[in-house]
Amino acid sequence: MRIVIAEDDSLLREGLALLLRAESLDVVATTSNPEDFLVSVGEHRPDVAIVDVRMPPTHTDEGIVAAVEARKRQPGLAVLVLSAYVEQAFATDLLASGSARLGYLLKERVGRVQEFLDALHRVAGGGTAIDPEVVAQLLAQNRPDTRLSRLTPREHDVLALMAEGLGNTAIAERLVVTEGAVSKHIRSIFAKLDLAPDDQADRRVTAVLHYLEGGRR
Amino acid sequence: MATHEARRWDVVGRLRTTVDAIEHLVGGLGTAVLALAALLWTAVTAVSCLVGVGVFLLPTVPRVVRAVADRERGRLSRWDGEVVGPEPVPAGFRAAVRDPAVRREVGWVGCHATAGFAVSLLGVSLPLYAVTDGTFPLWWYLLPPAEASDTLHLLPVRGPGDAFLVSLMGLGWLIVVVAVLPALARAQAWPGRHLLSPDPGTDLALRVAHLTATRAAALDAHTTELRRIERSLHDGTQNRMVAVTVLLGAARRALARDPASAAAVLDRAQDAAEQALTELRAVVRTILPPVLTDRSLPDALTALATACPVACQVDADVPDRCAASVEATVYFVVAEALTNIARHSGARHAAVSLRRQNDQLCVEITDDGKGGAAAVAGSGLAGIRRRVEAHDGAFALASPSGGPTTLTVSVPCGL
Repeated sequence: MRIVIAEDDSLLREGLALLLRAESLDVVATTSNPEDFLVSVGEHRPDVAIVDVRMPPTHTDEGIVAAVEARKRQPGLAVLVLSAYVEQAFATDLLASGSARLGYLLKERVGRVQEFLDALHRVAGGGTAIDPEVVAQLLAQNRPDTRLSRLTPREHDVLALMAEGLGNTAIAERLVVTEGAVSKHIRSIFAKLDLAPDDQADRRVTAVLHYLEGGRR
Repeated sequence: MATHEARRWDVVGRLRTTVDAIEHLVGGLGTAVLALAALLWTAVTAVSCLVGVGVFLLPTVPRVVRAVADRERGRLSRWDGEVVGPEPVPAGFRAAVRDPAVRREVGWVGCHATAGFAVSLLGVSLPLYAVTDGTFPLWWYLLPPAEASDTLHLLPVRGPGDAFLVSLMGLGWLIVVVAVLPALARAQAWPGRHLLSPDPGTDLALRVAHLTATRAAALDAHTTELRRIERSLHDGTQNRMVAVTVLLGAARRALARDPASAAAVLDRAQDAAEQALTELRAVVRTILPPVLTDRSLPDALTALATACPVACQVDADVPDRCAASVEATVYFVVAEALTNIARHSGARHAAVSLRRQNDQLCVEITDDGKGGAAAVAGSGLAGIRRRVEAHDGAFALASPSGGPTTLTVSVPCGL
């Protein structure tokens, strides 16, 4: 897997590269600003770009702007956005045009190396990775909707992991249950929330996120 | 002896007051003539309104009145205590008539053109009587015998004896002048002082407007400050901590694979953790320096001076503590000023002096550098100015090219 990193903090940039290289992943370029990042993407045609949200010059959302531009130039480029904090509203904006090949994670998730690598592979493989914090914010929203309260606690857990972008196998591993049990839970959840069942992982994520946002599909 | 001396000085003082009063009354006569002209113009406009032409002249009336009133304001301000003018005359005659300041000015014109004019004439005549009668024996014989008499024509003069009596009358006039003129001058100025200064309600409104503006600036400064802190925590300390977790994650994986390589990664993780602590301390210091809360403002300023690369002397004499926000403001003013001096001034010496004057905490920072400092937008000095004004304080910067530079800041103590 060929990776380009855009992160302005040098310590974090080098730490990230060191960690990924130790995992035998191919970090082809590390960059510290949006311009260099776009040049590197054009030059190396990577599979995945790992991008910090805040970058020079204004340290607001340069990373997102650069990621959007990179995807325009190289359709199909997987982008994993890292941020010092996550906002549900920001995530829904980011995922407005589909959640395939997109990830949005808190920076410190990188420290849980195995989960981070799973998320990275998921995004590179066409899936989605949404930070648990974003999902928690979505679930905590107060809405006059009693359907969520009809879910059993276990179904609630499955819903949260689905929203993060995990597939059935990964959910089964996390919850230490069989894949068959996960499938059963998911069918039950979709029925209780009046959602059309969908086995395609990224479409499923989109549906669940839209539901949690309040715009039920 | 002492009382005699005092009385003599009192006489001199009294004479000086009288001369001043004459000067004011002559000046008042000038503005009274102008007020009379303005009153006539108003009357002419009013009359011509009856035949229609005056409608076009109406808008000029408030302006003419304002022009005369401004002259009187200037005169009164030069005399004793500034008389602050109101906002410009509102555009349009109707709006002008509704403006309380314009109404008060019209009232003053009426008063000053009549009573004020009479008082001026009296005030100017009395000294003339005193001079004319007092010097009468010197020149009475030049007059035709039939016309020789005192100024009020009470006593026909037929010989030097009569002329002497007239000069005694002159002395009497002089006593009247000395006794009455200062009071006359004050009486003449009274309507102007009351009608031409902003009425108390307006004054309060202006004050409220000013406070609203400074309060907005204070909140603005506060938000800017919070944003700065948020950014330094997010982009500094938090990034360091993230790096620590990333490196620790990498070290754990390395332990499982190749324990020897884990030590190097752990070293880097420890470095990152130590950097995080250093940055955290720096951020905390910029929020509120611990020395300020634990010790005192003079101690905190001394600490700043010691850390400054330019030799800096601190002279702080404030026994009492002020409100914490005020002390913090003064601290950051000095910190920013010393940073500026070290970076840009090329100075070899700097000095900080801190004093409490009544309810103000005043600090003065001087340096012997090359001068030319200015509080341009975005500079540290502009930041100081914003902070100070947010506290309703005063900011003054004197920095001629070639130096020296003096920055003076005073902030209400808040206690």
